[in-house]
Amino acid sequence: MAPDGTARPALSTRPAIKGRSPGVSSLERLARRRSSIAFLMTLPLILVIAGLVAYPAAWAIYLSTLNRRMTANIGFENYLILLDSETFRMIIWQSCFFALTAVFLKALIGFWLAHMLHNIPTKGQRKWRGMLLIPWVIPPALSTLGWWWMFDPSYSSINWIINVFGFPSIPWLGTPWWARIAVITVNVWYGAPFFMIMYLAALKSVPEQLYEAAAIDGATSWQRLRFITLPMMQNIISITVLFSLIVTFANYDIVRVLTNGGPRDTTHLFATYAFQVGILSANLPRGAAVSLFMLPILAVAAYFILRGVTRRTKEIA
Amino acid sequence: MTNATLSRRSALKAGIGGVAASALAAPAVHGQPRTTIRCGFWDHWVPAGNGALRELCAAWGQRERVDVQVDFITSVGRQNELTIAAQAQSKSGHDILSFPTWFPAAYADQLVPMDDVMGRLAAKYGAVTQAAEYLAKRDGKWVAVPAVSGTQMKPCLGRIDLLKQHAGFDPREMWPAADRAGPGADGWNWDAFLAAAEKCHAAGVPFGLPMGSFSDAVDWVGALFASFGANMLDERGRPTVSGNQKLRAAVEYMARLARFLPNDVWAWDDASNNRAIQGGRSALIFNPPSAWAVARRDNMAGHDQQWTFPMPSGPEGRFTPYLPYFWGIWNFSRNVGPSKALIEFLSERESADKQTTISNGYDIPPFASMNDFAVWQNEGPPTGVVYNYPIKPHHNARTSVAFAPAPPEIAVQAYTQGLNTGLIARIAQGGQTVDQALGWAERELRNFARG
Amino acid sequence: MADAAANRDFPRAYTKAGSLHSERLWALRVSYVSLAIASLIFLAPPFYMLITSLKTNTEMADQTLSPWLVRDPTLEHYAAILGNPIFLTFFRNSIVVTLLVVAITMVISVLAAFALSRMRFWGSQALATGVFLTYLVPDTLLFIPLYQIVGGLGLLNSIWGLVLVYPTLTVPFCTWIMIGYFASIPKELDEAALIDGATWPQMLIKIFIPVALPGIIAATIFAFTVSWAAFVYPTAFITRPDQMPLTIGIVSQLVRGDTFAWGQIMSGALIAALPPVIVYVFLMDYYIAGLTAGATKG
Repeated sequence: MAPDGTARPALSTRPAIKGRSPGVSSLERLARRRSSIAFLMTLPLILVIAGLVAYPAAWAIYLSTLNRRMTANIGFENYLILLDSETFRMIIWQSCFFALTAVFLKALIGFWLAHMLHNIPTKGQRKWRGMLLIPWVIPPALSTLGWWWMFDPSYSSINWIINVFGFPSIPWLGTPWWARIAVITVNVWYGAPFFMIMYLAALKSVPEQLYEAAAIDGATSWQRLRFITLPMMQNIISITVLFSLIVTFANYDIVRVLTNGGPRDTTHLFATYAFQVGILSANLPRGAAVSLFMLPILAVAAYFILRGVTRRTKEIA
Repeated sequence: MTNATLSRRSALKAGIGGVAASALAAPAVHGQPRTTIRCGFWDHWVPAGNGALRELCAAWGQRERVDVQVDFITSVGRQNELTIAAQAQSKSGHDILSFPTWFPAAYADQLVPMDDVMGRLAAKYGAVTQAAEYLAKRDGKWVAVPAVSGTQMKPCLGRIDLLKQHAGFDPREMWPAADRAGPGADGWNWDAFLAAAEKCHAAGVPFGLPMGSFSDAVDWVGALFASFGANMLDERGRPTVSGNQKLRAAVEYMARLARFLPNDVWAWDDASNNRAIQGGRSALIFNPPSAWAVARRDNMAGHDQQWTFPMPSGPEGRFTPYLPYFWGIWNFSRNVGPSKALIEFLSERESADKQTTISNGYDIPPFASMNDFAVWQNEGPPTGVVYNYPIKPHHNARTSVAFAPAPPEIAVQAYTQGLNTGLIARIAQGGQTVDQALGWAERELRNFARG
Repeated sequence: MADAAANRDFPRAYTKAGSLHSERLWALRVSYVSLAIASLIFLAPPFYMLITSLKTNTEMADQTLSPWLVRDPTLEHYAAILGNPIFLTFFRNSIVVTLLVVAITMVISVLAAFALSRMRFWGSQALATGVFLTYLVPDTLLFIPLYQIVGGLGLLNSIWGLVLVYPTLTVPFCTWIMIGYFASIPKELDEAALIDGATWPQMLIKIFIPVALPGIIAATIFAFTVSWAAFVYPTAFITRPDQMPLTIGIVSQLVRGDTFAWGQIMSGALIAALPPVIVYVFLMDYYIAGLTAGATKG
């Protein structure tokens, strides 16, 4: 990768930064110019984030402190009312269960498949990779419709297969736990290929010399995984998990299409419940409060994960 | 430029071609600034339904020399509700918008009062059906006009052959396509219904009554509760659950009935019941004529055996589930005058007749005096299949909205959460006792009133 | 988990060493079996969608037949979709929006990532972390204020409104990927370039972009998939069929309340999946090849 031959982009064994050779004064001038150029280069990003995310988000936070008719500020009352509701407490639990389970399964399956792909001869990888990526490629709004058609209570093609093997039909969307399993299944089906491809890329960039060296040292395959593969992939795993966690927490399409939150609200997630309260029941402030509920939880998780990533990146650099 | 005889195809194209509406407008009068009204109507489930509105708007625009721009906003994926919320917040968008059930009340502050229009219409056509008044009249003012296009009822839609064979009655004889009740109509109450449900269940064609949180489910359970006099909320939005014997009777009835329904009804949506009757797996559902219309279109087996007839009656009368749309004008609109005139035009008998006819009788005008359109008599086969779809005087029925008469902003929360079906599900599916489930419902209801 | 992991980890470097021939064979078999099972499960829904799209409406309604087989296949649903000008419009809209969004995203995130990874300035560290946190604000919450902004600019009911808001979905992640890639490029490289008198833009174009190409392609693929599949924003901002992208176009035109045109929905979904598949076929090889080359060259 790097012309100087060291070529271990993510390795801490890389030689430390060489001394800054150019003269100090030119460096200072450069630094001054540099920061203004840098700012200009970042400006589009700042504009997008400030205008299209930060400002609307601030507005949403303000919104969540209003009453239903948006005529008075009631502080944190909306949050307290929500916490008072049995249904909403159940939804907090469900959202966490859904997101954690789904992300864990996605990460596990993705990691496993990436390894399997990496294992087989390069020639055959392309075909398998293509097939395994398909779930991620079909727009989820449409593929979920396909799943829904497969789960359809009265005409389930999955149940048809189950019946062929002599088992009774499963009420996929009709009972709380089966419905939760169905929702998680679809989410994992859709998201696992993304993990797989991120991990595969990371696996490919682990220099083979490391494994060769390990082989000479007589390391077992478990040791190689534990001491070479995982540390090398740590950053990409963290980022992918964090990203997926956030997106999975905010998931909307799947529940909306499959169950509409039912049966008996047992599959609602933050996003779908926020939609039901905010839009369908025309109580925007409370809907905003529901949406914002997960923000602190995720922000804390994100802070720690990202700090770890930044620290590791710095160690390398 | 255009006229009222637009073919469907060209109408469709006009809608597609970017400037949908200006193409439909009458030729401009030179040198005179023209008004443009932007309408966002409900994208009709019956494919031809949009054509009727488009033609009416074009004809009116030509006559009044106003440009009418028509968008059709689907309720699929709740796009119409999203649009309403977003327009209300940003105070920009269409002049006229179609509002589903609860939305006129929710946005009452931002809608132009329509008392003048409603006054003139009522003078001509008589009173508006009760449920529509409950939903669209806030603090004595009409905030929207009950629409023709998209408004539906959900009476019984049964298979004549299956009901005759298994339940022992012929709905076509009981409720013929005429302004009279047939033999046995007096006894068409929830007890008779339960007996029929049991027989059909035993025969393998159980009644396809959804019990999820979609509107078909909440609406019919709401109508059943209403005919038992079982209110869960009073006029001020306070829960009337504990010690409510009527409610308990209704809940106990439902728990009995649930045993005779397909065991997956808890997950059914608004399309599941249609498929159940179309596939011949159910002898009866509660639905507007769309299920029959699709069965006929695709020539499905048994479509000529379907028959629409009134809901069973209960101790407190007969109630028909009512799912209306309303036409409202935003108060940020700069064309209130012409918009009102257009809505009034669309509500007139001739316009209503056209909308109803093109939609195979699906659309129901809000005025009882309009329940005699020829389309309901002529549609078939079987001829007269939708004769009893609108409420006729001899039905002795009223329209029902679940969780009325509570203030709409409180009722809507119970409605979208499907509190009534959820209550039954807790008992019939979740194994709770009636008291536990009622306790849960009361706690939830109390929370809805807060904030 | 531990044993399974041990079995599955079997890099080629080790096999090259030549020992433990049977272990290698066994690992290979495990790999193929796993991949086959995974493919079977992953591809079952698309396969079922394909089968459904080939059935006539009558056959679909007949619940006595096996749902996984098709008796007399028909292309009528595909013909109906492809013969309808509105779907071609949806298709064009999707392509225009997606290509523009990908282009905008890549420009914004490559520039920003370059600046954030190489040129420290006040707040750059916070910004780099903050970029990612934007995902914490879900689009189901953002669409209302965004409606106000898009409406204020007069871009409602227009694909340009989508071009404006989609970057909020794509830019943060792409910037993050790019920061990672740029950070892994040795600093000696830019120092050398600077000594040779290269300007920052030259450095970016001549060194960073070529070296980080796999990362750029990865980001492109991500941006493409996300903007192709976006659903909430177009649902909220587009009500006119002529401006709809494919995803909501199919749903809004083919679902009529309680009646679903399943055959057409499924064929539409498969057609909608085609462009991303093509993009993958072309870019993935390059992407993986670039990564592998990068890893083995040294």
